[in-house]
Amino acid sequence: MKKLFGLLVAFSLVAAACSGSDEGGAEATAENPVTIQMWVAFSDDARLGFAEDRAAEFTANHPEYIVEVTSFDSYNTVFEQAQLAIDEGNPPEIIHFFEAATQEALDAVDKDGNPIFQSVTEAIDGRTEILGEEVVLGDVVSAATNYYTIDGQLYSMPWNTSSTTMFSNMDILEAAGISEPPKTWAEVETACDAIMGMPDAPSEGCITWPNHGWFFEQALGQAGANLANNDNGRAGRATEVMLNSDAALDYVQWWSDMEDSGNYLYTGTQRDWDGTSAAFQAQNVAMLVYSSSDTTALTAAGDENGFKVQSSFMPFNQDREYAGNLIGGATLWMTAGMDTATQDGALAFLNYFSNPENAAAWHKLTGYIPITNSAVSRLDGEGWYAESPNSKVASDQLDAAANTPASTGALLGNFVAIRDVVTAAIEDILVNDADVATRMQSAQDEAQSLLDDYNELYGG
Amino acid sequence: MGILASVIISALLGALSFGYKSRREGAMGAALGILGGAVILGALGFCTFASDAESTEGVLGVALAGAFAWMFGAGTKAVFNQRAADLGSGEIRTGTYNLSWWWPWLLLSPTLLILVFFLYLPAYQTFTLSTKLTRLGAPRVADRCLSNFSDILVVNPTTVAIIPLIAIAAIWGIGLWNRLAMPGSTNAAIAAAVRPFGILILIFAFYFIFENENGGYRQIYVNTLIISGFTVGLAMIAGLALAYLAFGRIKGITVYRTLLIWPYAISPPVAGILFFMMFNATGGILAHVVDSFGNFVGLDVSLPNYTKSVGLARATIILASVWKLLGYNLLFFLAGLQTVPRAQIEAATLDGANSWQRFRKIVVPALGPIAFFLLITNLTYSFFDVYGTIDFLTKGAPAGATSVAIYEIIRVGVDNGDLGRGAAQSVILFLAVIGLTAWQFRQSEGRISYGST
Repeated sequence: MKKLFGLLVAFSLVAAACSGSDEGGAEATAENPVTIQMWVAFSDDARLGFAEDRAAEFTANHPEYIVEVTSFDSYNTVFEQAQLAIDEGNPPEIIHFFEAATQEALDAVDKDGNPIFQSVTEAIDGRTEILGEEVVLGDVVSAATNYYTIDGQLYSMPWNTSSTTMFSNMDILEAAGISEPPKTWAEVETACDAIMGMPDAPSEGCITWPNHGWFFEQALGQAGANLANNDNGRAGRATEVMLNSDAALDYVQWWSDMEDSGNYLYTGTQRDWDGTSAAFQAQNVAMLVYSSSDTTALTAAGDENGFKVQSSFMPFNQDREYAGNLIGGATLWMTAGMDTATQDGALAFLNYFSNPENAAAWHKLTGYIPITNSAVSRLDGEGWYAESPNSKVASDQLDAAANTPASTGALLGNFVAIRDVVTAAIEDILVNDADVATRMQSAQDEAQSLLDDYNELYGG
Repeated sequence: MGILASVIISALLGALSFGYKSRREGAMGAALGILGGAVILGALGFCTFASDAESTEGVLGVALAGAFAWMFGAGTKAVFNQRAADLGSGEIRTGTYNLSWWWPWLLLSPTLLILVFFLYLPAYQTFTLSTKLTRLGAPRVADRCLSNFSDILVVNPTTVAIIPLIAIAAIWGIGLWNRLAMPGSTNAAIAAAVRPFGILILIFAFYFIFENENGGYRQIYVNTLIISGFTVGLAMIAGLALAYLAFGRIKGITVYRTLLIWPYAISPPVAGILFFMMFNATGGILAHVVDSFGNFVGLDVSLPNYTKSVGLARATIILASVWKLLGYNLLFFLAGLQTVPRAQIEAATLDGANSWQRFRKIVVPALGPIAFFLLITNLTYSFFDVYGTIDFLTKGAPAGATSVAIYEIIRVGVDNGDLGRGAAQSVILFLAVIGLTAWQFRQSEGRISYGST
C-alpha cells in the first residue's frame, strides 16, 4: 500500500510540474527559445503548407522563437480544442478562427471568467515595429478592417479574407451568344434561358452555388438589409435576428424559382463546396457563385479542362439599390495571458505573416484578397492583375461596397447554428417545395430562440 | 396538483412492482415508490411543477417519478428475493481464504475505476447537462428543468400524457390475454403470436408524441426507425444467407470467405466515402457507367442524385451500412453454423426433411444465441456508428430525411455547441437502447438455448 501511495504522490508531482511549466517571463534567447503555438484550421497541402513555410522562415530569422503550426480540420474543431486547452492551462498562442464566430470569440471566457483572447491593437500598443518586423495592422484593407473592428480596435489579425464572386464558363456563354457574364438576377435568368435552350446545354443546369448561410448573408448585404438589430450587432449586442425581411424573402424566392425552372442546380447537400465546384469544373453547369478564395484554382481548372473562366461580381437584385457585398474568411486571434517575450514574438510573427511579400504570395496561391494596401500596390506594380484579371474581382467588389452595417456584415452570437437554420429552411424550400414565406417564418422563430439562448448565457 | 399526481402514481407503481399480497407488503411498496419519486423530483428541485414550468414538463415530472418508483420497488424486491434465495440455499459462503474485507475491493478496483470514470461519471454528467442550457466556455449556465425534453415533444401536454398510457395499457392487455387464454386453444395461439409485437404499439405511440413542426424530432425518430430497422434486418438476413452459401463445399471457399469478411475491417466513414464515390451523380463511377450506357444506346439517361430523393438517400445509407455489417455477421454466422449438430441434420435427412425444413427446424434454432448477439450488436451499430457513413454520404439530406438520432445529437451538441439539448437527445437515445435491449432479453427468455440439451 505504501508503494502505491508513493506512486500516487510521484504521479501528482509530475502532473503539477507539467501544468506549471509556462509560468515566468524569462527572456527569449536562441539557446532557450520560446515556442509559439499556432493552430490553423486548414489541412490541405497548399494553405497549410503556406503557414508552415512562413513559420519556418520566421524561426530562421528569429532563432529565439519557434513557431509551431498545428493543423485542424475545421474552424469549429480549432475553437473547441482551444477552449479545452485553455481550461487545462496550456493554450496555443495564436488561433485561426472564422468570421461568423467573431462574437463568440469576443465573448469566450476561461473558467475564472477572464476573456480568452486579447485585442491585437491593444497588444501592439502603437508600436510600428516589433522585433524588427514592421507592423502592418494599420495597413489592412478597409473591408476587413471594417468587419473586424469592434469598439474601435482590431481584436484579431485578418488573414484569409474573401468575398463571393461568380465564375463563368465563357466558352458556354459565348456559344449561347452571351459575351459578358450577367450582372443582375434578371440578366442571369436571360442568360440561363439562352444557355439551357442550346441543343448541347450543360447537363446539370445553368448555374449553381453552395447552400451555405454566407450566400444568404451576401444577398442581404447587397440589398442593404441587416441580418440583426442594433446595426447588425455593431452598435450593441444583437438581440433580434431578421431572417424574413423582404430582401431575404426576395432572394430565397428567386433562388427557389431558379431551381424550379431547372436553371439552378441543387447538388442535394448543404454547404456543398466540393460538389458545386466539381459540377462547374466538369462543365456540367455554366456558372458558379463561389468564394473568391478558389479563384486561382478555378481559373487553372478551366485552363486544364480547356475552357475560359471569367470571374465577376456576385449577381444582385436589379430591383433594389446595390449596397455592397461582405467579406468572409478568418482571422488570427491571440490568446490572453502571455508573458511579454512570448507576446512580442507572437505579434512579430502575425505582422511578418501578412507583410506585403507574404500577403501577395498568399493571394496568388489562393485567391483570398491581398490583405494589406501595400500588398495590393505591390501586386499592381508586378503587373499581376493585368496578367490574371480574375484575381482583382473580389477586391474590386469589396471596394465597391458602401461602408454601412448591412454591407459590413453581422456580429451575432450562435451564428453557426443560425446559419444551419437558414440552410435547412432553404433546403426544405428547394427540395420539398415548402412555401417560402411560411418556411422562413419558422426559421426566423427557431433562429431567434437560438439567439435568445446565447444571449441568456453571454449577454450583459 | 403535479406533486399530488406524482405521489399517487409513485405509490401505486411502487406497490405494483414490489408486491401487494399483504397489507404490510403493499404499504412498504407504496412507501418505496414515494421515496423513489421523491428522490428524482428532489434532485430536480421539484422544478417540473414550478409556476413557470410548461405543463408538458409537469407530465414528464410525473412520468419520471413513476419510473423511479417502479425502479425502487422492483429493485428492492430483487434484493429481498436474492437474500431469501441465499439464506435458503444453505450454500457455504466462506472459503478457506481468510482475507481482510478490502481485498475483494482492491482486486475489483481497476475495473471499478474504469467503470466509474469512463462510464458512470460521464453518464451522470450527461443526465445533469440535459437539464441545463450551456455552451463550452460560457460564463453562465442556465437551468432548463426538463424543457430540453419537452421542446422536442408535441405542445399539447394531454397528448404526451395519454398516448403512452394507452400504449402501455394495450401491451398489458395483450399480456392478460395470453394469461387468460386456454392453453392449446386457437385463442392462445393468436395471443402468443401477437405478444412479441407489443413493442410496436409503444414505438407507434412515440411517433405521436414527438414534435412534428419543422426541425421537429418526429422526423428524426422516423428516420432512425427506418434506417436502423432496415439496416439490422437486411444485414442479418443477408449475413445468414451468405454464410449458408459460404459454408458449403465450394472450390476456393477460403478466398470467398476472406473477401466476404473484408468490409468488416473498414470504418463507417470509409464506407460512406466508398459509396459516395460510386453513387455521386456528378463524378461517381456509376454516373459514368450510366452515361456511357446512355450514349451507347442513344438514350438521354443519367444517374439520379440520391441526395435529392428521400427514398434513394435512405436506401444508399442502408446499403452502405448493410455492406459494412455484412462481413461481421457472416463471420459469426459461419462460426455458428459449425456448431450445428451434424448428427441431427443427418437424422432429419433420413426422416425425409427437405433442405428448407432442415434449415428452418434445425439450423435456425441452433443459431439462436448468435442471432441474438448479432441483433444487439447490429442495433448498437445502426444507432451509434452510422454517423460517419451519413456524414460522408448525405449530411442528413434531403431536408433532414436521413438525419438519425446520433447524427442530430452531434449536430446540435457538438457542431452547434448546445450541450444541454445535445445531452437531452443523447439521454433519449440511451433510454431507447436500454428499452429495446430489455425487450429483446424478455423476448428471448426461454426461447434461446445456449446449451446442447
